[in-house]
Amino acid sequence: MKNIGNLKEFACTPDRFQGGHRLCPGCAHGMIVREVVNATDDDLVVSTATGCLEVCSAIYPYTSWDVSWLHIGFENAAAGISGAEAMYKALSRKNKLYNEDRNVKFVAFGGDGGTYDIGFQSLSGATERGHDFLYVCLDNEGYMNTGGQRSSSTPIGAHTTTSPRGRVSYGEKHRKKDLTMIMAAHGAPYVATAVPGSKHWKDLAAKAAKALSTVGPTFINALSPCTTEWKFKPEDTVEIGDLAVETCMFPLYEIEDGHKLTINYRPKNKVPVEEYLSKQGRFSHLFKPENKWLIEEIQKEVDRYWEYLQRREEAGV
Amino acid sequence: MATPKEMMTTWDKIQPGAVLPSFEDPEKKIRSKFNSYNYKVADWRVEKPVFNRDLCIDCDFCWVSCPDSCFIVEEVENKRGKKQAKIVGINYNLCKGCAVCVEVCPTPIKSLLMFPEFVDNDEALKQWPKKD
Amino acid sequence: MAERYELKQKEVWDGNMAASHALRQAQVDVVAAYPITPSTPIVQNYAQFLADGYVDGEFVMVESEHSAMSACVGASAAGGRVATATSSQGYALMVEVLYQASGMRLPIVMTVVNRALASPLNIHGDHGDLYLGRDAGWIHLIANNPQEAYDMTLCAFKIAENEKVRLPVTTNQDGFLVSHTAQVVEPLDDDTAYKFIGDYKAMNPMLDTKNPQTYGAQTEEEWHFEFKASQHKALMESPAVIDEVFAEFEKLTGRKYNRVETYKLDDADVALVVMGSAYETAMVAVDKAREEGIKAGLIMPRSFRPFPYNEIAEKLKNVKAVAALDRSAPMGAMGALYNEVSGALAANGQSSIMTNYIYGLGGRDTTAQHILEVIKETEKNAKAGKRVTDLQGFINLRGPKLSFN
Repeated sequence: MKNIGNLKEFACTPDRFQGGHRLCPGCAHGMIVREVVNATDDDLVVSTATGCLEVCSAIYPYTSWDVSWLHIGFENAAAGISGAEAMYKALSRKNKLYNEDRNVKFVAFGGDGGTYDIGFQSLSGATERGHDFLYVCLDNEGYMNTGGQRSSSTPIGAHTTTSPRGRVSYGEKHRKKDLTMIMAAHGAPYVATAVPGSKHWKDLAAKAAKALSTVGPTFINALSPCTTEWKFKPEDTVEIGDLAVETCMFPLYEIEDGHKLTINYRPKNKVPVEEYLSKQGRFSHLFKPENKWLIEEIQKEVDRYWEYLQRREEAGV
Repeated sequence: MATPKEMMTTWDKIQPGAVLPSFEDPEKKIRSKFNSYNYKVADWRVEKPVFNRDLCIDCDFCWVSCPDSCFIVEEVENKRGKKQAKIVGINYNLCKGCAVCVEVCPTPIKSLLMFPEFVDNDEALKQWPKKD
Repeated sequence: MAERYELKQKEVWDGNMAASHALRQAQVDVVAAYPITPSTPIVQNYAQFLADGYVDGEFVMVESEHSAMSACVGASAAGGRVATATSSQGYALMVEVLYQASGMRLPIVMTVVNRALASPLNIHGDHGDLYLGRDAGWIHLIANNPQEAYDMTLCAFKIAENEKVRLPVTTNQDGFLVSHTAQVVEPLDDDTAYKFIGDYKAMNPMLDTKNPQTYGAQTEEEWHFEFKASQHKALMESPAVIDEVFAEFEKLTGRKYNRVETYKLDDADVALVVMGSAYETAMVAVDKAREEGIKAGLIMPRSFRPFPYNEIAEKLKNVKAVAALDRSAPMGAMGALYNEVSGALAANGQSSIMTNYIYGLGGRDTTAQHILEVIKETEKNAKAGKRVTDLQGFINLRGPKLSFN
């Protein structure tokens, strides 16, 4: 397992996800992916579901990957990586590995569309089968690659192009699916949440390093603030991610062996959700008088969930 | 975004299955012409970050927050002989000008600031805000 | 190292067992599959081989056929021998990934047990699934009985993995009529079979992590056409390799296969185009017809893709009337075999009178007597020198006569 010490040391890691990709300026995907692939010194085979990361990092004739990489379709990043991992096991058993001297780790990336929605079955299957891989969900809470449609990860009240705010609508009607807990319920040995950026960089890198060194299926749900569709300025990506943590809209925690929950970061003073919501155009309509009740509801739900996490941690179950 | 002319081969010369090698020389880690490291996204920018080495404390917040792997790092030894990263510059081929690096820069006077694309870097450094 | 399986010179196997043994003998590195009637026994048998120590590759029982083919793609791109099995709805669920597998030029072998597509639901044999996958960029080989299911599967690996081909291959056998019908099969011993296929030759394996490769890039309008054209070219040129592999197989076993199979066609006035188990039924019908003085013959594309246009036209040169028998609901057109054969004849300036028959959907029985009637109808066209029968008829369909012109 790669020791994630200080940032000065971590920054010596040669990048394995190259620039020159076509992700939007300020896209959190680039930050998260760099940290994850840099969190191990082992070789990597990466699969990626159709989505922003995939279409931006392998536009022929260019690839942004200094590691082996595979894209098949939208719903099968986990199935694809499980096949590659099975081949590694088979060749290893038959003494036919291409590089005997190298350890190979397997990582799949998917957006929330490719993970919460269309790819969930293949993720659930690959996890249940116990393949040795890390799945990282780049959760930008909607189908941002196709112009910002709602997914089952879109939070209540958010405007998307298929759950638009309107004369009689406050936007998305349903609560965000709690995928992290669902993945933990698979009994996966390691499941965690993370955000990109300089404040919580170590939390993410250490989680990736831990996940990659854990034998079996592991899962990281990384919030990926989307400058384009959440409607904030590109330079604010890190701040938005940090606010998600400070408001407890997206708490940082990990679950080991399907049950042992640890909260990794506790805001000193929990920031009201307004702070987070008001900085994003997708929630601007919630500040109209007729929608204010929803902000209160969101706050109540965030408080309830934060309480739940703390009680679970205390209970040690 | 048209593909450079020299990449436009014909059907009889393309590699089966559109498989792209990351490296031309994997041993020496020389990246292939297919590697986006050799692509330029500079024309996405209207403003560019300028780096002021004199003010930098090598916290590497910019390095870890950069979505485009732009920060050029040199490995140096600290006083105790441990390796650490020293930021030496920005790869302007890869920078899209998002300004996240400027936002996360923690020095009292920022070591990274945005300037219009046409301003020369030396000129930008001359215009840098001073301690009052 | 996996145990060697002692086989008798003659085994009594159904088509599924034959396919399972071929997969075992190929020492496949990864089999990723999902059960579905009637191909389920292929994966069950394979699981038992694994449980008994006869397989040392990985066997991944996934949660859907979509994931089965996706795992096959991941495994194949990783760099090793890969196979799976499916039928019908499972095949349909795979279709998206079939195109991705062939587009990435991955030599996956899939043993297909052909079955009807719902709705209405039906578990029995027809070629609906095969026709669904015909444009997916795979090579499709046809087996008419368990022996051929075994032989074609061995050949499939050698064809798919050939460096001039590098395309996925399906071997097709009719649901139940072949898959569940036990017949005498003469297998090769394990060593001979493996030696025939040979070791897997890797091309750009992802697991050679010192030389990383990107699979599945996005090619927009500047590139997509070139890649599809080059893939089509590989398919169009694969007959040279298929012929080579069939010739080598004949040398080894004495069993001769051809991309176009014929029966009593040399002096025939009337020919039927039939694929699958009905070909053998039709042989009986041809013999009966000849007893009655009708010069009938049979022709079958053993490789449905690439379709042997010129060879079929050449062999039908002196035939007066041809009936193409399609075992799939044509849904608004003529059947695929009718279209392909008509196209082949037209392209070569030949003018045999063409008719189309739809038969055997959802496992409907098609007897020698039924086919004999088709031969007799087709002879009417041959005698008249023009088409006097309906363009498209249905064989053994209950109710008033259904036909189209």
